[in-house]
Amino acid sequence: MEAAATANGAGDDAAALLRETTPFGEASGALLARIARLARPARYGAGTRLYSPDDPADDIFVVASGRVEHVLDPQIGAREAVKRVTRGGVFGWTGLLLGQEHRMATVTALEPTQVLRINTEELIRLLSSEPQEGEHVMERFVSMIQREFTVPALLARVRRLSGPLTEEMSTASLTMYRMSLWLKSPRPYLMFIGFALFLGFWYLAVEIWRLPRFREMPGLTVVVKEWLSPNPTYGLSLYTEEYYQHILVSIWRVTKAFFLATVLGVTFGLLLGWSRAFKEYVFPVFEMLRPIPILAWVPLAIVMFIATESAVVYLAFLASFFATALNTMLGVESIDESYIRAADCLGANRRQVFRHVILPGALPFIFTGLQISIGVSWFSLVAAEMVSGQYGLGYVINTSYVMVRYPTIVIGMVTLGIVGYITSAMVRIAGDYMMEWRVRELALSER
Amino acid sequence: MNMRQPSTRGQISIQDVVKVYDPDGAAVMAVDHCSLEIEAGEICMIVGPSGCGKTTLLNAIAGFHEITSGRITMDGEVLCSSEKPKSTPGPDRIVVFQNGALFPWKSNLDNVIFGPVMQGRLGRRQAIEKGRAMLSDAGLSGVEHSYPGEVSSGMRRRVEIVRALMNDPKALLLDEPYRALDSLTKSVMHEALLEIYYKNKVTIFFITHDLEEAIFLGHRVAIMTTRPCKPKKVLNVDIPHPRDYSVLTSKRFRELIEETNDAVHEEALKAFQAGEKEG
Repeated sequence: MEAAATANGAGDDAAALLRETTPFGEASGALLARIARLARPARYGAGTRLYSPDDPADDIFVVASGRVEHVLDPQIGAREAVKRVTRGGVFGWTGLLLGQEHRMATVTALEPTQVLRINTEELIRLLSSEPQEGEHVMERFVSMIQREFTVPALLARVRRLSGPLTEEMSTASLTMYRMSLWLKSPRPYLMFIGFALFLGFWYLAVEIWRLPRFREMPGLTVVVKEWLSPNPTYGLSLYTEEYYQHILVSIWRVTKAFFLATVLGVTFGLLLGWSRAFKEYVFPVFEMLRPIPILAWVPLAIVMFIATESAVVYLAFLASFFATALNTMLGVESIDESYIRAADCLGANRRQVFRHVILPGALPFIFTGLQISIGVSWFSLVAAEMVSGQYGLGYVINTSYVMVRYPTIVIGMVTLGIVGYITSAMVRIAGDYMMEWRVRELALSER
Repeated sequence: MNMRQPSTRGQISIQDVVKVYDPDGAAVMAVDHCSLEIEAGEICMIVGPSGCGKTTLLNAIAGFHEITSGRITMDGEVLCSSEKPKSTPGPDRIVVFQNGALFPWKSNLDNVIFGPVMQGRLGRRQAIEKGRAMLSDAGLSGVEHSYPGEVSSGMRRRVEIVRALMNDPKALLLDEPYRALDSLTKSVMHEALLEIYYKNKVTIFFITHDLEEAIFLGHRVAIMTTRPCKPKKVLNVDIPHPRDYSVLTSKRFRELIEETNDAVHEEALKAFQAGEKEG
């Protein structure tokens, strides 16, 4: 109460100080004034311990003058654990982390130091009342923790503003976050350089240096021109309807094959992993059939299915099926016995163990299998389309070869690469959605 | 002065139990005519070097492994015997595992409500209510919606114990639960476990190789011989409960350590010379 008189004058000072900090620096004047009202000044003599790791994580500290030494617990894995904090520096942010009740650092004043203390819960309540600006302040905290305190991967634990139920970071925002992290890292530029080198080599080798073996290949400019031409010399480009027809036919076949392979392969793999008797009957036959290359199946497939369409889908299905089933089986077998025992102890019956332990426990392996499966599905589809079929990207490549339309071959290949990449990314994203626990675990252990 | 919880349930009687492993014709005796009475509501600590066969004993009580002969009863009911060598695992005696067995694919709250919901004892909504209350009692409200992989290993152990207590078990069977923790976290966990124990009437069967841990926590400490496993010495810890960390520096605690240290060391040496691997 007695501090009330000085509070107004001090409030301006506090706001000015907050303006200098990373987390609050971009807040509006109105919000800043409200935050400043939460701040309580405190002084510490040289050598005073402000807090140590066992203390409760209650207040956030802003240094007004003086200097403190901030030493992070080595377990946190900061790149630089020791940091000096001076005016405008903010520490004591552990209270912003989900489930973190205690400090993670030892902080000592190196000289007489004045600080502002802001209670974390009060701050969060205030920020929640201004969700948009509040969220921005929280983002600034995240980047401060990462950059200034060099603590990687705590971000997934930073609390969300809007209430306890949405405290967890959703998969979507995590994906967005990773995207922005990726864009800020040097990786996109390295990727760009990689592509540039590859295309540059293609261009130079074929069209400028005219190296032996490369001389006869369609050059980069020829392919790109053909691809982008409204009137393509060989009848296939981004502007022709036929191009999309081929793509759609191939996608549709892969979809059918992949869907069938997933349903049957996962079921079959779960049975293999779950029932020893079933495995003993079936697995040797399975293992004998699995290494047979898809191309070796082509004649039989044509005999089995009179219609070429079914034969092509069957071939794409076959390779997919083996990959999915095998990985699913390995997934079931990889589950730690303790989980099954724990479920038994807790009174789950056999069906519940299957539904709540076996299935989710095998899911990471299943999705690894599906990633492989979508790849081999494309691979065998194109092989099948090249042998028999009337549409599709494999068919395009094969007929272009027979009819000496070399640039079209390359267009078909590049298109395959792009479409294949997109489908496998879709499988990965689906996996991330179904296994949020894993995404979050990985986010914590990244780097 | 053994202030045991006034309880009538969770009395476990191990009678002349033998366990012989016969992996490839060469019979190995893991447990040799072992008898031990664990009284209702007591903390009974089982101490022995790694691989001495103490986990085998726990697995027999829990129902994960068969016994070769002998009998184990709980509150007079036969769990397993020569006629029925494998007991049926159930929520009356819940194991807390060495490496932790919270399901990583379920949130901490979903883990905690797993038992009652699976058994159909509580509806999901009631279970959530009870789970929240119990987590908050244990000071774990903040981690309800996190996954186990997102919280510290000490917290994971506490959540796992809450998951067990949700089923109102007669006994908790702990298999070196704090082995992987650093010593500071461990000391916090010990006090947290005692606090939970004082609030809940439950028998605790606790396996460890750490003598200090055993004497600090237990009403009684059974020091086991190394393979084959049977009690070498049973120590009554006459330090009154409730205990806290000041016990560690007390004279009586030191005396008890001295009294038993030789016995433990001797077995550890035997195990070392036999070169037994973890079991």
